[in-house]
Amino acid sequence: MAAAPAERRLYFEDVQTNVPLETPGMTLTETHAALFGALTSCGPTEPGAIPDLIPLCLSSGLGWRVPQPPLVVLAFMGFEWRFLKPTRVGDTIRSVSTTVAKRSMKDGGVVIEERQILNQDGQVVQSGRLTLLVAKRPPS
Amino acid sequence: MSGEPVVYFEDMKLGEEYTSPGRTVTEADIVIFAGLSGDYNVLHTDAEHMKASLFGERIAHGLLGLSIQQGLLDRVVPGQAVGPLAAVKWKFKGPIKIGDTIHVEARVSAKKEGERAGTGVVTVERRVVNQRGEVVQEGETDHVVARRPA
Repeated sequence: MAAAPAERRLYFEDVQTNVPLETPGMTLTETHAALFGALTSCGPTEPGAIPDLIPLCLSSGLGWRVPQPPLVVLAFMGFEWRFLKPTRVGDTIRSVSTTVAKRSMKDGGVVIEERQILNQDGQVVQSGRLTLLVAKRPPS
Repeated sequence: MSGEPVVYFEDMKLGEEYTSPGRTVTEADIVIFAGLSGDYNVLHTDAEHMKASLFGERIAHGLLGLSIQQGLLDRVVPGQAVGPLAAVKWKFKGPIKIGDTIHVEARVSAKKEGERAGTGVVTVERRVVNQRGEVVQEGETDHVVARRPA
C-alpha cells in the first residue's frame, strides 16, 4: 500500500505576521448551549442565551478551517480576552486572527495572535490576544 | 439580564475565598469538547502520536479546563453572584490528563466602579489545582455586577 501523503503543516518558521485570517461562520444553536451546559455545568442564564465561553471555544475549532495548513501547536500558553457583547441562539459568529509577534525559543517559538470574534452584523462580540507555543520545522 | 440578582456588588467582600468541589476529567469530556469546539488537534485526539510527545498521552484542551473550572465555581458562588464575564487573563501552566481531578480555589481580589451607571466590576483570582496540589491553570476574571438600588 502506498504511503499516505504527509499532512501539510505550518511550523514556527512559516508563520507570517500581520496577515489576517478569517474563518468560516458558525451559527450558535440551542444544541451548543445544551452540550456545553451538560459538559461544564455552565448553564445559560436565560432562555436563548449562549454561555460566554462558547464563542471563544468555538473559535479555536474555526481556526483550523482557515485557508492554510494547520499550525503545529505544542501548547496553548495563555490568553487575555474581553467579552464585549452577549451572543444569542441564532447568531452566526466567525473569527479573524492576526499574528502580531513571534519570538524564537530554544525548543519551538512563541506566537502572539490577536483574535476577534464577529457576529453576522460585523460587530466584535469578543476579542483578545492568545499566546501559543509552536514547533520549529524538524531538520530533514 | 432578566430577573433580580441575588447578590449585589456591595455584598461581595474583598478577600472572600471560595473552594469548589473536585471533578475528575475523563476521556469522554475531551471527546465531547473536541466535537463541540471542532478543535481536533492531535494533542487531544491522537493517543498514539501523544505517546511520543512531551506529555506522553492525550491532554485536555486548555479551554476545556477553563470551561470546567467556570462550571465548578458556579456551583459554590452563591446565587450566581459572579455576573457575566467581562474579561479573562489566563495562563495554562501544566497539562490536565485523563483521570486528573481538578478543583478551583478563588478569591475576590479587586472591586471597582463599572463603566455603566449602577454597576461595579469584581475581579476574581482563580487557581485550578490538580490532585497532586499542582496549579495547572491560573488567572483572573472580571465580572460586571449590579449595584444595590438606592
